[in-house]
Amino acid sequence: MPVFTSEQKQASLAEAAAIVQDGMTVAVGGGLSWREPMALLRELIRQGRRDLHVIGTAHGVDVDLLCGASAVSIIEESYVGFEQDFGMAPNFRRACQQGQTKVHDTCCHTLLQQLRAAEYGVPFLPVRSIQGTDFLQLHPEYKTMTCPFTGLPLVLVPALVPDVAIVHAQYGDAQGNLKILPPLVADMLFIRAARHVIATVEQLVPTEELQAMEPNIPYFWVEVVVEVPYGAHPTSCYPFYAYDRRHLAEYYHAASAGPETFAREYLARYVYEPASHDDYLQRVGGALRQRELESWKEGDDTWRALFTAPEGAIA
Amino acid sequence: MKEQEISYATLPEVMISQVARTIRDGELVFHGYGSPVPALAMLLARRTHAPHMVHIEGATYGVNPDPPFLPPTSNDWSLSRGSVLALGITDLFDIAARGDMGRMFLSGVQVDRYGNLNVTAIGSAAAPRVKLPGSGGGCNLSADVQHITIWTTGHRASLNKAGKRQYRFVKQIDFISSIGHVARDGRARAALGLRGGGPEWVVTELGVFDFDPGTHVLRLRRLYPDTTVQDVLDNTEFEPVIAPDVSVVSLPSPADVALIRRFDPLNTHQREFKSTDVSRRFSLQDSQ
Repeated sequence: MPVFTSEQKQASLAEAAAIVQDGMTVAVGGGLSWREPMALLRELIRQGRRDLHVIGTAHGVDVDLLCGASAVSIIEESYVGFEQDFGMAPNFRRACQQGQTKVHDTCCHTLLQQLRAAEYGVPFLPVRSIQGTDFLQLHPEYKTMTCPFTGLPLVLVPALVPDVAIVHAQYGDAQGNLKILPPLVADMLFIRAARHVIATVEQLVPTEELQAMEPNIPYFWVEVVVEVPYGAHPTSCYPFYAYDRRHLAEYYHAASAGPETFAREYLARYVYEPASHDDYLQRVGGALRQRELESWKEGDDTWRALFTAPEGAIA
Repeated sequence: MKEQEISYATLPEVMISQVARTIRDGELVFHGYGSPVPALAMLLARRTHAPHMVHIEGATYGVNPDPPFLPPTSNDWSLSRGSVLALGITDLFDIAARGDMGRMFLSGVQVDRYGNLNVTAIGSAAAPRVKLPGSGGGCNLSADVQHITIWTTGHRASLNKAGKRQYRFVKQIDFISSIGHVARDGRARAALGLRGGGPEWVVTELGVFDFDPGTHVLRLRRLYPDTTVQDVLDNTEFEPVIAPDVSVVSLPSPADVALIRRFDPLNTHQREFKSTDVSRRFSLQDSQ
């Protein structure tokens, strides 16, 4: 992890995305339907990034979108899907089944140990699990050994250093100090283990204001920071906004209908055509939709109602 | 809904109560994401027979939460509401790795006789015929956790276009995502150096199973009022052990059903089930 000492880390989405090069190992922050750095991922797609090796724990629309835009060649995630909400992730599934991406599934603790090896500056860490499962065949880079102290069989997993970690935080300052609110998922490990860290934030605030929030990431780990309100949309970013389930339904139906439909009805409309992030936000419903997504805090009934949208419901 | 107005339990509600009963008081219990049945079972157990269990929530890792409703996605602030605090991801997996997690819940698209589970791929993993979403933390947790409760709402075999049965409880599993009692090479858990005890219970829409202590093979223990031993045999590709004293599950109390309905006003758990299983209803009139 290099040290980034610049006082001024603010950049545009385009400048931040340019740090990511074709073929890089990319750790995408957040998880499932929560705080995924979607605006930055859309920018990577617009810039035509290819052959990314994505790593992470349990993810959803972020990885599926990258698959749908043919930006990924290796997927090392523990889960990619839409749970009880929409089920299987269509683009991810297609990319794996058609051989466009290499199936390199991992498991949460395994990945955490690999990231911690990177964080601790050691070449590997042992785990007691994995044995007896077929992950050993899927990952020839894992080794087995007999523990010299106890005689127990162990699996050794190598340090995994992401070329770049991309996270979306609630708050940050111009220098790159961040306040990420829980669930932190694997973001803290990604940041400590990666060579480059790109942060998008909902709100850029003065450093004194951030200090009062007890920031959890120091500026010198962060290479660039971009203020992107609604930068996690359509995933949630509490306390700002809930998950946009209606948009996810639209996404899921376009993705399920096949690659041509997805390219025409989703990628074109929401990734390639928008002139800016603001234009994207207009296309997904503008201020009216934002008020709805922010209504979760008005009470349990309005919060619950955000999950009852009938369109897109699966059987 | 008031308790006295509850006249029946649905099959999903009975399954939730069966999963809840596998939880022991005082255990530290965790469920994964995308697991409404175990999530509700944990909420139910903590308010009934297991008040001292430690409840660690799905993807938020909230400790002892009191969610206002169960959304269809797991990493949502609604699910950690009421928690004392939320653990970090390494806290959670380290608890399991050092052997302190009492129970976890796993499911599989394929289940074999030893409780090995596949959620990774149908066909070869390198070139899958069907890529499944993946095991999340299941691979590591299946090795480390003291007791595993397996649940699945998809025990029943389906017919393919050629009219051939497509089993989910299979003789040959395509990929072992999480380890049961015996590995592919015939080694049992102890020989693999695994810490946890492995699958203890298997709750499906056809019955409740444990594992034969001698052979480690799936063993039928309980049926529902509307299922038979033959249903289980017809829908299981391998031959399960049938316990000599197979009984019928005891239905949840109206109070338990009222709790489940209060916890899940969106009926998120029903999304795990086929509609034909959601419509299976068992009268609670006799039990009152």
